[in-house]
Amino acid sequence: MAEKLINIKINGKVYKAEEGETVLSVCNRVGIDIPALCYNEALAPYGACRLCMVEVVNGPGKKGMTTSCTLRAVEGLEIVTDTEKIKHHRNILFELYLAQAPGSEEIRKMAAKYGVTKTRFAEKVKPLDPLGNKCVLCGQCVRVCDEIMGTAAINYIGRGSNTRINTPYLEESNVCMGCGACAEVCPTGAIQIEDVEDKRVMKSWSNTKVQLKKCKSCGRYFAPDPMLDFTYGKLDPEIKEELKDLCPDCRRKLLSKKEILINQGEAYKNEK
Amino acid sequence: MKIKTLEDLNKIKEKGLNKLLSSDKPHIAVGLASCGIATGGDRVFKALEDTIKAKKLDVELTKTGCFGICHEEPLVNVRIPGKPLVILHKVTENDAEKIIDDVANGKVPEEKALCKIEEWDHLTLDETVNYGKGYSNIPLWNEIPYFKPQKKVVLRDAGIINPEDIEEYIAVGGYSALYKALTEMTPDEIIEEVKKSGLRGRGGAGFPTGLKWSFIKKEKSDIKYVICNGDEGDPGAYMNRNEMESDPHMIIEGMLIGAYAVGATEGYIYVRAEYPLAIERFRKAIDQAREYGFLGENILGTDFSFDIGLVSNAGAFVCGEETALIASIEGKPGRPRPRPPFPAQKGLWGKPTNINNVETWCNIPVIIKKGGDWFSQIGIEKNTGTKVFSLVGKVKKAGLVEVPLGTPVRTIVYDIGGGAAKNRKVKAVQTGGPSGGTIPTSLFDTPVDYEHLKELGAIMGSGGIVVMDEKTCMVDTAKYFLNFTVDESCGKCVPCREGLKRMYDILDRITKGKGEEEDMETLEELATTIKEASLCGLGQTAPNPVLTTLKYFRDEYEAHIKEKRCPAHVCVDLIKFEVNKDKCIKCGLCYSACPVGAIDWKKGKTSIINKDKCIKCKACIEVCPVGAIE
Repeated sequence: MAEKLINIKINGKVYKAEEGETVLSVCNRVGIDIPALCYNEALAPYGACRLCMVEVVNGPGKKGMTTSCTLRAVEGLEIVTDTEKIKHHRNILFELYLAQAPGSEEIRKMAAKYGVTKTRFAEKVKPLDPLGNKCVLCGQCVRVCDEIMGTAAINYIGRGSNTRINTPYLEESNVCMGCGACAEVCPTGAIQIEDVEDKRVMKSWSNTKVQLKKCKSCGRYFAPDPMLDFTYGKLDPEIKEELKDLCPDCRRKLLSKKEILINQGEAYKNEK
Repeated sequence: MKIKTLEDLNKIKEKGLNKLLSSDKPHIAVGLASCGIATGGDRVFKALEDTIKAKKLDVELTKTGCFGICHEEPLVNVRIPGKPLVILHKVTENDAEKIIDDVANGKVPEEKALCKIEEWDHLTLDETVNYGKGYSNIPLWNEIPYFKPQKKVVLRDAGIINPEDIEEYIAVGGYSALYKALTEMTPDEIIEEVKKSGLRGRGGAGFPTGLKWSFIKKEKSDIKYVICNGDEGDPGAYMNRNEMESDPHMIIEGMLIGAYAVGATEGYIYVRAEYPLAIERFRKAIDQAREYGFLGENILGTDFSFDIGLVSNAGAFVCGEETALIASIEGKPGRPRPRPPFPAQKGLWGKPTNINNVETWCNIPVIIKKGGDWFSQIGIEKNTGTKVFSLVGKVKKAGLVEVPLGTPVRTIVYDIGGGAAKNRKVKAVQTGGPSGGTIPTSLFDTPVDYEHLKELGAIMGSGGIVVMDEKTCMVDTAKYFLNFTVDESCGKCVPCREGLKRMYDILDRITKGKGEEEDMETLEELATTIKEASLCGLGQTAPNPVLTTLKYFRDEYEAHIKEKRCPAHVCVDLIKFEVNKDKCIKCGLCYSACPVGAIDWKKGKTSIINKDKCIKCKACIEVCPVGAIE
């Protein structure tokens, strides 16, 4: 059943929204620009980066500033996204981010887009940071690893301004599947992964090494072993034995070859 | 035995009253809450026990909680049958023999007496407890200045009954409010009564308790929870600790009534791990409550069932925040999450949950017993009832102070607390701990209630009042509180995690003489953003100490920044450690106080500080009677 559609007012204009949808999602859809670092529509709202603050002018709940990623659309909700107050606070947050993650080109670009090019605060440079001084602790990697992959190989360590993200006790993880979802969602490209011979090395995660699978046809290493097992386990119907452990290239070759054989009427013969 | 009827309850009540008012032998109770133990109360208890044994006397010796007058501890209650209960103060193990000898002879050691209690209103009992009259030389408890402006509602039993004996709690009317609630009232009537009382959450924010209960009451769910928030963490605040240690059953009874009202069947008491005695007493109390049939199935013969689990916290201040507390009970890291959904909708394990502070629960049995109207007469409009404050810092008489809401700061600090210790001048108080703010003496007529304190930029908080005297540096104080919140920030959202650290860095620089003109503006700017943009209450209030000191003590910031001078002589880097020849009275106290022999002094000569040897410990500044060291 389709969600109930309601009207909400953003910056004086009325927009249609699904009831209960986050306001940030509505803004993204209709093209109203709101910066965000910790938001990912695949993950549960988190409300940590505080960049997506908007001001609730009218509505059944509390008025005033709140994060649009956690604000739910309800009938009668009216918000504004670009007041001087919002911009002012956002600019200070950008200054804090610039100082927290001086290694991040993405943060520099994002801040500059909103007019912040320098910070008053001393840059936090950690010489041996496995995340290259790029991490803003948005937690997307932690959440994707837990909520989506069900692995929870990484988490926060410490608290306050000493918070870091890594594997428990900074030891190689024995549950990490090497899937790389963490690096995929990271908004600042902080997470380093490198394939070295038969191993995937999660450089940012205590150099966790994950065995790679050798393609049974061409012999190259193409995907992490545990991730393939995880994926095969999820397939229904099961993957055909002949397609198992083939790298994408060889799999394509095999399928194309079969296609050709079918067209030539050879496949039937062969299968018999 | 399991209590099923009013007759059962009354039987235990009589038994308990016999313990409290025994007519055949003297009764001694030692104040053994954490504060009493810290001052040597347990050694006093042991000495009394040994003496009684050695002399083979028939004297009843028990424990009791804290009567609230901490600066006079250890306290020992002594009662001769038919005579007033006498509270002895500053008792040491050396006094044990004399106390026992006197008691054996039907006397009390009057020279050790602090005050006496002739009759006591436990509020939950229909009549007052009458001990007897006598001892005209000993003042009544409410005649001594410390207690005169106080009103004991929450601390109605503390320091009088034995917290480890459920029968003594039942003796003073304990669990009779529960009986009334279960047998005479509907859940809606209870919520109505709490609404009528005007009780507001004692955790700090002051949300109306009855209203909060009505939210979870409305939710439909197979299971609902109630939680007691005992994660008291403000530096200098320990009223919840005393409430838990001195009268744990009052909290259990409050939770039972609340659970019945909102339809909960399970409860949790969440106590900070640093309170081992509170945890131990709760454990005993819960066991006893189960044994007597107040917890478990079919409580008091009704079809209401409820049980309580005890959770000890993992050691983080932020776990006092509702959503972080829930995460912590669930075994997750204590990090807050955005609200809504509120715990009343989705709380513990995703089920409707009602969380109240320890002291909020303490008030419930009285409200049910005496009625909401009675309660609403205490205090002032919209701020009804009493509040327990822990009055600490550089105050003459530290302790737990319970006053009606709306009592002026002045009454608390001067009339009760006796002003600053060491004959110094009071400069300010800090209410609400690291989330609160400083209030200068010029505003001491402000009534202590939720709204007035907020107007000043402070908050009521859970009830810590830290007194500061003229030798307190306000910049250093702000830095102290910020250091605490920087340390306790969970690290989830950026304003609190990064912003507070930056504020701390600036304050640190200022106290080291490296402050710059624009620092004050940057501090204010950061503070406002952190207040507006933080995810939870910790960040939203953490800048308050800085904002209030900037507002009321701006001159001190300016002295640090512009003149590189700390007016209170606290910030070590701003002290020259030189003796002002004009002020020095050549007394030589500094010479004797210096631990490293860095001061040259001879009789009749001005002291000279040898800077190569000086370790800047400030011992000389502490002892100098004329403030000659700059």
